[in-house]
Amino acid sequence: MKFPIFTIWREELKNIYRDIGVVLFFIVVPFIYPVLYSIIYNPEVMRETPMVVVDMSHSTLSRDFVRRIDATPDVQVYKYASNMEEAKEIVNSKKAYGILFIPQEFSQDIHRGKQTTVSLYADMSGLLFYKAVLLATTEASLEMRKIVNVNAIELPVPYEAISLYNTQNGFASFLVPGILVLVVQQTLLLGISMICATTRERNRGALVPHNPIYSDALRTILGKVMAYLTVYIFMSIWVFIVMPSLFHFPHLANEGTLALFILPYLLACIFFSMVVAAFIRGRETPMMILVFTSLPILFMSGISWPQTAIPAFWKYFGYLFPSTFGIQGFVKLNSMGASLNEIAFEYKALWLQTGIYFIITLLIYKISLLLHKNKI
Amino acid sequence: MILQTARREIERLCKNKIYWFCMIVAPLISLLFFISLMYNGLPTKLPAGLVDLDNSSPSRNLARQLDAFAGTKITAHYPSFEEARKSMQRGEIYGIFLIPGHFAQDVVVEKQPKISFYTNNSYLIAGSLLFRDMKTVANLASGSVVLQMGRARGYTNAQIIASIQPILIDTHPIGNPWLNYSVYLNNVILLGILSLLIMCVTVYSIGSEIKGKTAGEWLKTGNNSILQSLIGKLLPQTIIFFIVGLMMFAVLYLFMEFPVNGSIWNMILALLFFIFASQSLGVFMIGCFPTLRLGLSFACIWGMISFSISGFSYPVDAMYPAVQLMSNLFPLRHYFLIYVDQALNSRALFYSWPHYMALLAFGLLPIIVLRSLKWSLQYKSYQP
Repeated sequence: MKFPIFTIWREELKNIYRDIGVVLFFIVVPFIYPVLYSIIYNPEVMRETPMVVVDMSHSTLSRDFVRRIDATPDVQVYKYASNMEEAKEIVNSKKAYGILFIPQEFSQDIHRGKQTTVSLYADMSGLLFYKAVLLATTEASLEMRKIVNVNAIELPVPYEAISLYNTQNGFASFLVPGILVLVVQQTLLLGISMICATTRERNRGALVPHNPIYSDALRTILGKVMAYLTVYIFMSIWVFIVMPSLFHFPHLANEGTLALFILPYLLACIFFSMVVAAFIRGRETPMMILVFTSLPILFMSGISWPQTAIPAFWKYFGYLFPSTFGIQGFVKLNSMGASLNEIAFEYKALWLQTGIYFIITLLIYKISLLLHKNKI
Repeated sequence: MILQTARREIERLCKNKIYWFCMIVAPLISLLFFISLMYNGLPTKLPAGLVDLDNSSPSRNLARQLDAFAGTKITAHYPSFEEARKSMQRGEIYGIFLIPGHFAQDVVVEKQPKISFYTNNSYLIAGSLLFRDMKTVANLASGSVVLQMGRARGYTNAQIIASIQPILIDTHPIGNPWLNYSVYLNNVILLGILSLLIMCVTVYSIGSEIKGKTAGEWLKTGNNSILQSLIGKLLPQTIIFFIVGLMMFAVLYLFMEFPVNGSIWNMILALLFFIFASQSLGVFMIGCFPTLRLGLSFACIWGMISFSISGFSYPVDAMYPAVQLMSNLFPLRHYFLIYVDQALNSRALFYSWPHYMALLAFGLLPIIVLRSLKWSLQYKSYQP
């Protein structure tokens, strides 16, 4: 054989497609998971949160106020209740998520030029419900200000609020990019661990078969990495390029920049997985012990829980995982339109991880080769 | 006898390290992680950038006010918006507060200078928190100016206040007045992880009997009755998971003092039913896919999806109707709704009983696969 590295590459590809478990992780899961999550979160925002109104004022003004709330996209007035008891009953049975109580003196107060107070009760089973009812009521009350008081003092310091990225405050656009990046790492981790465990089961604990083409650790590793890259280049196109445009998530980066970023991410994930895989025995063990880590790893990336609020220990612990830099980098590139220059920190970190995990992998394979030789 | 099966199972559980890991170590690691991650409740001191184009005493005063909020910390001053935006793109700040030039002067001559604030909603939580603080400061700025102007024109304070804000909104977030994210996240995520692990362990403990060709021996301890064998096998696991769940409760409700506004017994009952439902799903999964690897994959996918579809961060009401229906097939969804009723809102048990019943109804799933599962146990040799 002239180029043993290609034989290793071909053998490893066979290991992948002949094992339904690995096919599941390498192809089916990265294909389906992003779609599932996108479908779940795709409506992006909570519209028309149902709210109950208890109007003790029964006035033209109060009805006008409620109509304005109803007109906002955030809230829909589900029903007028005659008293708080009835309103609570409706919220308790989850037909509405907020109660607006308008007091009897509402209209009188306003006509007399006195500030009046309405009470807003929000069900806290979702922060988005609270945000929606508060936003709609505030907006309507500001409009009322212009209606009730023609010669009201104009706001001396007006303001404008602009969301620079993810401009519609969408939930999918915020969370799914992070999940996309994480799926790649976790599936590589599971798939490579499974391949590794199978090889061990077949070769009495050795990481490579007893065959002269595997006699060189560096060659073996590179051959394997080429095989994983072959599969994941295709999966990456699906995950990082097709998915965002299919579901209209922000996709500000061009393909070239993304490719330059994804390469070190894939390499870091692959070498990281090869290191972890070397310590896991049993073909089913990886799933049992790795899947639940996805949540803590996602939180350590700082996409949902802000990075500055993560305790130092967990912050640096998170640096062990390629996904921490992968998620931050990808979000900045693709959701915020940063250039590679602006994500130099993440980019360098991924290459550094690639280097470190590569060296560890190399050592592990060299040691395994030595041990294996001694056994025979 | 069930006891005999249970004794055999306990031996198996003790012998294999993976059970120790999945039943005790993994839940504890998760507990430690999430509790310590969100120990301080709401994130504070989120970095924001200031672009003060006026640099007058009033504009600096405004910036100081913003910085004084617990949620916001002005970490940098930028000479222009463009530079602040670049910094935001690098992820150094989550928001920009921009005070226009001639701000102080324009206020005095009533030219209504406009304050702008920009938030980065790629980080939705950080963006929303900063938005709240910045908006409050902008309103305060208007308020103090109006108060001065009004007084000069001889209005009373009450008149002035009514003129700026005729309707005051008094908010009452029911059950979680601190608007504390960690209350939701911890309560649901930790139980979700528990559910994931329960499903995996259930599938593994049955699937490994098929793979290891010990299924016959197991059935024999249960008098060849599949039902008896299953109960004997799963009951010890139920007890261990229940104890682990109670430990989580102790940390959440006693140590962290998260609100339980209703009766804790209702939550403990929910926990028990929740464990039962997860185990039942596990049996169903390995019954449908009597190969260890496929059964486990099913469990993992279901367990991971449950975090999203249970609706504790993004509400189920905002999902597509078909997804809303699907959400009922996840024990975590029902547990979350019971949690909202019983722990957050202390509602009457009447409102939650459909969800307790739904959790119990998961117990019907194993019945569907009982016969085929027995067949697999008796005749199916493991296919790699």
